Amino acid sequence: MATDKKYTTVSLPTPLFEKIQEKIKGTGFTSVSDYVTFVLREILAHGSDQEAFNSEDEKKVKDRLRSLGYLD
Amino acid sequence: MKVAVIGLDCAAPDLIFNKLKGELPNLSMMASRGISGKLRSCDPPITVPAWMVMATGRTPGELGLYGFRSRIPNSYNGIKIPTSQDIKFETVWEILGRRNKRSIIIAVPPSYPPKPLPGLLVTDFLTPDKDKEFTYPPGLKNEIMKDFPDYQFDVKFRKPEKRKIIEEIYRMTDTRFRMAEKMAMEKEWDFFFMVEIGIDRIHHSFWRYIDESSHLYEDDPEMREKFISYFRMVDSHIGKLLDCFDDDTVVLVVSDHGAKSMKGAFAINQWLIKEGYLKLRSGFPKQGSSLDELDIDWSGSKAWAWGGYYARVFLNVKGREPEGIIERGKVREELDILKKKIKEIRGPNGEEWKTKVFEPEEVYKVVNGDRSDLFVYLDDLSWRAAGTLGYDSDYLLENDTGPDDAVHDYDGIYILYRKNREIGRVIDSSIYRIAPTILALYKVRKMYGIQGKPLEGVEYVE
Repeated sequence: MATDKKYTTVSLPTPLFEKIQEKIKGTGFTSVSDYVTFVLREILAHGSDQEAFNSEDEKKVKDRLRSLGYLD
Repeated sequence: MKVAVIGLDCAAPDLIFNKLKGELPNLSMMASRGISGKLRSCDPPITVPAWMVMATGRTPGELGLYGFRSRIPNSYNGIKIPTSQDIKFETVWEILGRRNKRSIIIAVPPSYPPKPLPGLLVTDFLTPDKDKEFTYPPGLKNEIMKDFPDYQFDVKFRKPEKRKIIEEIYRMTDTRFRMAEKMAMEKEWDFFFMVEIGIDRIHHSFWRYIDESSHLYEDDPEMREKFISYFRMVDSHIGKLLDCFDDDTVVLVVSDHGAKSMKGAFAINQWLIKEGYLKLRSGFPKQGSSLDELDIDWSGSKAWAWGGYYARVFLNVKGREPEGIIERGKVREELDILKKKIKEIRGPNGEEWKTKVFEPEEVYKVVNGDRSDLFVYLDDLSWRAAGTLGYDSDYLLENDTGPDDAVHDYDGIYILYRKNREIGRVIDSSIYRIAPTILALYKVRKMYGIQGKPLEGVEYVE
């Protein structure tokens, strides 16, 4: 999406917004937007190193499948 | 209304509805009050792709998934283990998610790496280990590790310790059910789908203690009791899950395929060598060698095979395989000759086999992904295929790798049940009806190209 704006708006259910407001009281987060941005970045970062198996992972799974009679 | 699917991998109709009926009060009560029957699996009747056939309503051909390994296109032995990223069609929980339904998904294969969804997901037995992210959202893993530190995706089968492994399978299953019960009780959800793999592991390893008709049958009261008490444990957990569900929950107990006694393993690559289809450069290999350890004269080979509960036979086609020799125009002829020869394979004592051989196009309208040229069910699946070679005989009474008691059978089970409804019908059905049933129960009218129909009698639980 081509836009010059640095920020955009997403909608949150009001009770959730209020819950977050309550939760960040006295923390380093200055706004609900700050907190939500932080949490979403964390979640997305968790997903990004999950492309698929690396070769070591694949070996582990293959060994187990072989021991169970599924390969060869 | 909510829908909860309890998947019992490999649960077999004769065992659940007949032999162990008296030992399984919850399953028997559900079957007698609900609608139940055999559930014909897909072809091939194998865990991967069968659970995804159930979850998407698509054929293995559409999914491009034909077993626990996919060939790296056009290679001789390059294999890839399917992951959640290979599923190119929407699962029912993804369709429901767009309708604001939250799901709990536990161990439905293949679901690693975890894909985001509105709800919670724990990945399946194809997860490398617990060091990986195996949940969505990621924080759920911490809860599981805290409450169920012994949680296990699968067991690793070690032949010398065979008798001990039954305890490990028992613990694995018990833990997964306890986790599922906690999640069903404490988390918010509209749709629930769990798969327990332990039943499959028990069947493959210990079928000889329960099936008197098996040539491997052992009259061992202690092992037989352990086998049965495993099923009692599963049944009692199903009872506990029912207590976790609201009264307006429709419950589906399903299995992806059944089981039957294994008669033996047939060394199919050895047979291909004898028939002149496969050529080795080296001499007679040592027992148990796999093709990738051997020096194969591909420029002199017309075909090779992969083993497993069914055999996949590949032709070495010019322009497709790196050193292909069969001209494209000759493929049809070669396939017909090879199919005929495979069908004529007889048993170790010259007895006739009911071998089924087919090309993927004969069973699926759409064939995606890299598939073998032939699918082979040796003696109607009673003999598994050994891909390894170097044996004195092509007929191995013990398996070449892994457990060797049971093979897969076409029919799994299903029970459709809702509390306070007395239906009591037996109707055999098909795995292709499960996804449409789930969608119908949530009143999803748009079928997104899914071909199957809901289970007969679904209106009785609506």
